[in-house]
Amino acid sequence: MATNQPLVMALPKGRILGEVRPLLAAAGIEPEAEFDDPASRKLKFQTRDSGLELVLVRAFDVATVVAFGGAHLGIAGSDVLMEFGYSEIYAPLDLGIGRCRMAVAEPAEMVEADDPRRWSHVRIATKYPEITRRHFAARGVQAECIKLSGSMELAPSLGLCRRIVDLVSTGATLEANGLVEVEQICEVSSRLVVNRAALKTRPEEIGKWLDRFTGAVDGGKGDGG
Amino acid sequence: MNDQPPNALLPPGMNDILPPDAAFETHIVERLLSVFKSSGYEQVKPPLLEFEDSLLGGAGAAMTLQTFRLMDPVSQAMLGLRADMTLQVARIATTRLAHEPRPLRLCYAGQVLVVSGSQLRPERQVGQAGVELIGSQSPRADAEVIGLAHEALSAIGIEGLSVDLNLPTLVDEVVDGLGIEATAVRSALDRKDAGELAALAGVDGALLTSLLKATGPADTTLAALGTMDLPAAARAACQRLAEVVALVKDAAPEISITIDPVENRGFEYHAGVTFVLFAMDVRGELGRGGRYLAGGGVDGTTASSARIAHDGAEPATGFTLFMDTVLGALTPDQSAKRIYLPLDSSAADRRALKAEGWIGVAGLEAVDDDQGEAARLGCSHVLSGGKPRPVKGTKGG
Repeated sequence: MATNQPLVMALPKGRILGEVRPLLAAAGIEPEAEFDDPASRKLKFQTRDSGLELVLVRAFDVATVVAFGGAHLGIAGSDVLMEFGYSEIYAPLDLGIGRCRMAVAEPAEMVEADDPRRWSHVRIATKYPEITRRHFAARGVQAECIKLSGSMELAPSLGLCRRIVDLVSTGATLEANGLVEVEQICEVSSRLVVNRAALKTRPEEIGKWLDRFTGAVDGGKGDGG
Repeated sequence: MNDQPPNALLPPGMNDILPPDAAFETHIVERLLSVFKSSGYEQVKPPLLEFEDSLLGGAGAAMTLQTFRLMDPVSQAMLGLRADMTLQVARIATTRLAHEPRPLRLCYAGQVLVVSGSQLRPERQVGQAGVELIGSQSPRADAEVIGLAHEALSAIGIEGLSVDLNLPTLVDEVVDGLGIEATAVRSALDRKDAGELAALAGVDGALLTSLLKATGPADTTLAALGTMDLPAAARAACQRLAEVVALVKDAAPEISITIDPVENRGFEYHAGVTFVLFAMDVRGELGRGGRYLAGGGVDGTTASSARIAHDGAEPATGFTLFMDTVLGALTPDQSAKRIYLPLDSSAADRRALKAEGWIGVAGLEAVDDDQGEAARLGCSHVLSGGKPRPVKGTKGG
């Protein structure tokens, strides 16, 4: 079915965007010049394809924007998808970028004396209260979450709580703050996400971009060996 | 700030519907019902409350978590407040109307209450309007209700409609043959996560992966399903799906149809061809429907076993439209002209104007400035010298 409205793709601002940029190029998306200008305050960009626009939102908001139909497509971390659990989002493709893991960490001096089998209640500082609650509930432990938006690693030393749940890539930040990873919750990577109603009402257009991104990911794998 | 008196606050998910939206909702519901009735569907009106056992027995078990309960001080029994009307209508068809000739065509409209809304659909009281076609196994019955849903939504002015067809039992049939863990597979399929699916199901999951990838426009999907090595029951289901698609296209070639063979969410008690209605740039589902078994075998029947034939059960299909989403996709029509009738206007003039379709707003006090009073009361015209005159500075002026 033909439509004049362009598709909108939501991309995460910040660190991940650097990894997203080569994928866009490989998928044949050529944004206007300002997209690559770090000084630009613009958040909405045309591309050479009149049927596709790009918007930049905070990484944590991509899932919400796509679930509410504000954007038809998006690139979101699997951590954010798990946290919100929106039923209106499909995550058909693992882009293989933004890889890290979500883990429980605690102060190094606490680890030896700690026996997780005896826990009935834990207090945890995290940006991911839902995932944390679900993770601990599954083993019969009630998790009281302190929601923070960043610098979780500081929470134990400031006395907010003794444990944190956060993303870990190299482990350097944890180490610098005297914390040790004690348990891994899940692997995280960025996914191409699609709004459910958009996939049903514009299957050909969405399918085209899905194929292009699949090609871009497979191509990347080939190059990297 | 706009400070309201304390009794203005409503519980989460509850709304006052104000002018012009309330009248518009009534108008749209009537329009939908008239489309249903013109195809032979007769209206029924089930009660708001039923005994918990009958409301949530059998296939109704699927609605357990979404149903408000209260204790009836009269009978001392637990009552359930309906969270969905489909199974109430099915109960009527298989009990009080069991002796009526089949196929039985019923339609309904009413309000339901759900325990929790979602972030996307926070309303807890929502309107439903729908039809049930009971007692026919024919693919023509499936095609009839799909066509009728499309016709009704088109009649009220919704554009860019698309019907997504599903076979909710298909994946179970495939998974059963593979001996893999079904819950995790379902979760991966719900998110259309091909990577996760491959990791879970391994080499045996190739069939599931090809089902997932087959999602898309009807012709493409049917062609893809035709080439797959499916179990016999699944093959028969796909064959039937193809028949339904052909019948729907035959009756209404303009309908845009997609097929998603792995969709299952929201079809807890359905078996056979089911469907979800979407429209371009409308958030969420406009409605959903499909095949299920109506009535019979309530005792000890669970939602999932309600899919299997049991005593007294009848084949049925139908659909429910969600009025919150439907109305959200439309803009109230305010083209009717409002006219201010000053205190001294004659009864004959008032009657004549109303007969012409004017909305007459009568003045209760004598005022110096009829024009100003008309504008204050939101009227586009004022009756002056026996004739409607436009009010300056309004739409009509």
